[in-house]
Amino acid sequence: MVEHVGSTNPECVLDIRGLTKSFGTNVVLDGVSLTVERGKTVCLLGPSGSGKSTLLRCVNFLEKPDQGSIYLSGRRIGMREGGVIPMSTSELAQARARIGMVFQHFNLWPHLTVLQNLIEAPIHVQRRSRDEVVAEAEMLLERVGLTDKKDVFPNRLSGGQKQRVGIARALAMKPELLLFDEPTSALDPELVGEVVAVMKTLAEGGSTMLVVTHEMGFARETANEVVLMDGGRVVEKGQPSEFFTNPKTDRARQFLQRYVSA
Amino acid sequence: MTTAAFLSLLQGAGVTLVLSGAGIALGVPLGLLLGLIRWGRVPVLSPIVMVYVSLLRSTPAVTLCLLIFFAIPTMGIDIGPWTASVLTLGLNTAAFNCEIWRSGLNNFSPDQLEAARSFGMTPALRFRRIIFPQLWRACLPGLVNEMTLLIKSSPAIAVVGVVEITRAATRIGAQTYDPLPPMLVATGIYIVLIVVFVGLQRLTERLYGQAGAAA
Repeated sequence: MVEHVGSTNPECVLDIRGLTKSFGTNVVLDGVSLTVERGKTVCLLGPSGSGKSTLLRCVNFLEKPDQGSIYLSGRRIGMREGGVIPMSTSELAQARARIGMVFQHFNLWPHLTVLQNLIEAPIHVQRRSRDEVVAEAEMLLERVGLTDKKDVFPNRLSGGQKQRVGIARALAMKPELLLFDEPTSALDPELVGEVVAVMKTLAEGGSTMLVVTHEMGFARETANEVVLMDGGRVVEKGQPSEFFTNPKTDRARQFLQRYVSA
Repeated sequence: MTTAAFLSLLQGAGVTLVLSGAGIALGVPLGLLLGLIRWGRVPVLSPIVMVYVSLLRSTPAVTLCLLIFFAIPTMGIDIGPWTASVLTLGLNTAAFNCEIWRSGLNNFSPDQLEAARSFGMTPALRFRRIIFPQLWRACLPGLVNEMTLLIKSSPAIAVVGVVEITRAATRIGAQTYDPLPPMLVATGIYIVLIVVFVGLQRLTERLYGQAGAAA
């Protein structure tokens, strides 16, 4: 497996190199490198506290990494070329707009209707024409099966519906990369399926996705690659068929015993 | 009580309304600015705002009004009783409004702001599109409450010679040696003013309430 190809490989959408992050004395990321190629889905697995959510939040600089670099389609995120001068607030905002993010707790805007949640950033951040954005948003709502909810406020939706809106909202930005931060962890068990189904369609439709999840079924069936993190490091990565049936490390075996007992 | 006396009370009501309105127009946005400075923990400015709020909250309106009326001219700035009155009411209410806005901001869900950040919204856009539309709805009851307090503290400005409702009523009482009727009418006018303010709040909440539904 080739690592650190990064900007030299045109198929590489996300290239994370040697990322470190500490909160006080607590080292959360301890030199993580990871790539996601175009149209591929990578699942980040690991016990809680292993740094996977922090890694995801570093990708769009919601958390500022201490060291290391992140490239999105060959362009540095968070730092100007050269890696010494941090991006300005507006440069960072533009960079973030290229990455879609889906949150564990949905984080919808409660004062906006479902449709307004979808068109907010495309209109005001990307400055695309309202008509075009609305038409696309309606198509996206159809794709996630929520056409009839478009004029409803988020507090009227179930958790599963909220998360499908969250996904459609991210897609409305036409992002180069989609980040999912435990998208099903806050859902009632019977609502997980509808969200996973949407994510599968996306993965199969060629979206580039980095997914932090505890849904082993999704990882096994849909991911092109799974990455196991523990203690802020990548302990194992590989094809799901390989990883789930024949893990190479003790840590992976231990992890799988706990999470895939059923 | 004569018609002339009644008319002079109404004129006083007009003065109270105009000066209070101007004080609100100054104090509500200024309070928001101060609240944002405190909320954002802006270096240097934030502690200054904290001191400002403490000082203004502990200064009675009468004292503040006299202070402004007599202190500012010593700095070579010409200031009339009307300007002094608007400054008194506005600066005083700004301190209280700062705390109302700040508590609204502190209660604002960080999740939503994180989503806004990750969608590439700049701080200004986040404030304009995400925070403010929800913030003003949440703060409206507190702000209107503070407005009614401002109207009721407005007699303080009579100290620099402005004839507002209470001052007009005492004058009439002094002339007629019968202070009760003008005072009763004055009380009635205050009640009407406050009822109108609270009614406007109810109306606003009914018109715009739905979109501010709790998260």
